Amino acid sequence: MLKLHSASIALVVLFAACGKADTAEPPAKTAVSAAAPVTPAAPAPAVAASTEQGVNPVGAAVLEFKKRIDAYLKIHNDAEGKVPNLKKTDDPKEISDREKALGEMIMTLRAGAKPGDIFAPEYQPYFIKIVQDDIKARPVADRKALVAELPKNVKVDINTVYPTTLPLETFPPALLRKLPDLPPELEYRIVGRSLILRDVKANLIVDVLRDVVPTIPS
Amino acid sequence: MKKLNVRFIAFLWTLLALAAAVQAITAQQPAISANTDVQPPVGKDSVKFLVIGDSGTGDRAQNETGAQMWRAHAVFPYEFAIMLGDNLYGAERPQDFANKFERPYKPMLDANIPFYAALGNHDDPNQRYYKYFGMGGKRFYTFQKKDVRFFVLDSNYMDKDQQRWLEEELSKSNSKWKIAYFHHPIYSSGGRHGSEIDLRTIVEPLFIKYGLNVVFAGHEHFYERLKPQHGINYFTAGGSAKLRGGDIIVNSGLTAKGFDTEQSFMVVEIDGDVLRFQTISRRGKRVDSGEIRRGQTS
Repeated sequence: MLKLHSASIALVVLFAACGKADTAEPPAKTAVSAAAPVTPAAPAPAVAASTEQGVNPVGAAVLEFKKRIDAYLKIHNDAEGKVPNLKKTDDPKEISDREKALGEMIMTLRAGAKPGDIFAPEYQPYFIKIVQDDIKARPVADRKALVAELPKNVKVDINTVYPTTLPLETFPPALLRKLPDLPPELEYRIVGRSLILRDVKANLIVDVLRDVVPTIPS
Repeated sequence: MKKLNVRFIAFLWTLLALAAAVQAITAQQPAISANTDVQPPVGKDSVKFLVIGDSGTGDRAQNETGAQMWRAHAVFPYEFAIMLGDNLYGAERPQDFANKFERPYKPMLDANIPFYAALGNHDDPNQRYYKYFGMGGKRFYTFQKKDVRFFVLDSNYMDKDQQRWLEEELSKSNSKWKIAYFHHPIYSSGGRHGSEIDLRTIVEPLFIKYGLNVVFAGHEHFYERLKPQHGINYFTAGGSAKLRGGDIIVNSGLTAKGFDTEQSFMVVEIDGDVLRFQTISRRGKRVDSGEIRRGQTS
């Protein structure tokens, strides 16, 4: 147990350090253009780099993740530019029409999207570890309460609409602190045993990381 | 002939069973009284508001409780309403906004009473663009009414941006009263959900540090006034349409007053250094009331 705690703390510290380093980066626009591909490309040499001596593998995972997020944001922004702007309205139809239009535009622009486009396969173990360590470190009652609340028996898939009748269950704030920051356009959510990335304005599932949440016996 | 008799008896039994079921359902539904136990406000220039939680069902319970809210307004003319989340359950098509919000609260909307909503776990965050929810396109926001500053949080997703924003807004507010409201209760005796400890570890230190006075939450489908925690008064009022009867754990040690047998809502008045609250049931009965002095706990 103590080991697990130490591992979590170490990861948090590492992530925090990476977060600080990130703030010193050039503005997002430059980062986006540097990331280049609209559809995130295959993982960069970060894999090799991460195994090199002296390279912080968690930092590499976070940087690669940020790159992919930036690439997604470029698509999101392109799509936003192509659909009517959303302002405060008393007509709910305008809200749902806009959400749908934005979602469809992104789906079109990401037609070839596949799981792992953002949660890069080689770095998925880091995300899984963060989630699992957080859940395992909780008292049993808390763990059960958390898992009991999650939407279950729902199939979620990349580049599809998040089911509109499904509650957006609370994302555990302490866990949120341990995961890399996201821009306001995106959020993490847990559905069943999957960690998903959801586009807030388009209500779209951007990426899915399956079998993340450990099974908790009831 | 024999076959016909058997069918007839079966039909009669089905009818009887149906009648019994209807009777059972009707018995659970309170008869709506044309009267209300609501007491008028005391202060002349006080801030008066309505508290609604977990309301967006569009069913009979919401409509009847909504009617009771409007009856209360005749005695206690609240100027605005706060919504504690789960503003719309299930689908959120245009007709759902009508059935689950605009129709049940039509008299209030017709009277230009503004609503200020928080997001619940059943709410699409894009509700923030819906004008009548008063969110100004924001997931979390703040607004001022005379001496009172309200902090409306999105407890579904307490990310670092929101934490930073909350601390900044709390630190710069010198309002006499500071009230926060959001969907998930950080203290609760609910058997189904209970206290959101994870959220508590993040927001409570800020509430204490910056002298928050009162917190309203929903999520639990009942009414609970909690014993003050670290000098802060907590209310859960998540039963304005949904009801989870008998869900309050009686020996939790947290409850000052609980009510989980009928739908309810609150009317609140802030008059100088005093906050007065009344909790009203779907039938119009006053099930809890009291006052909180600023700097003291109820």
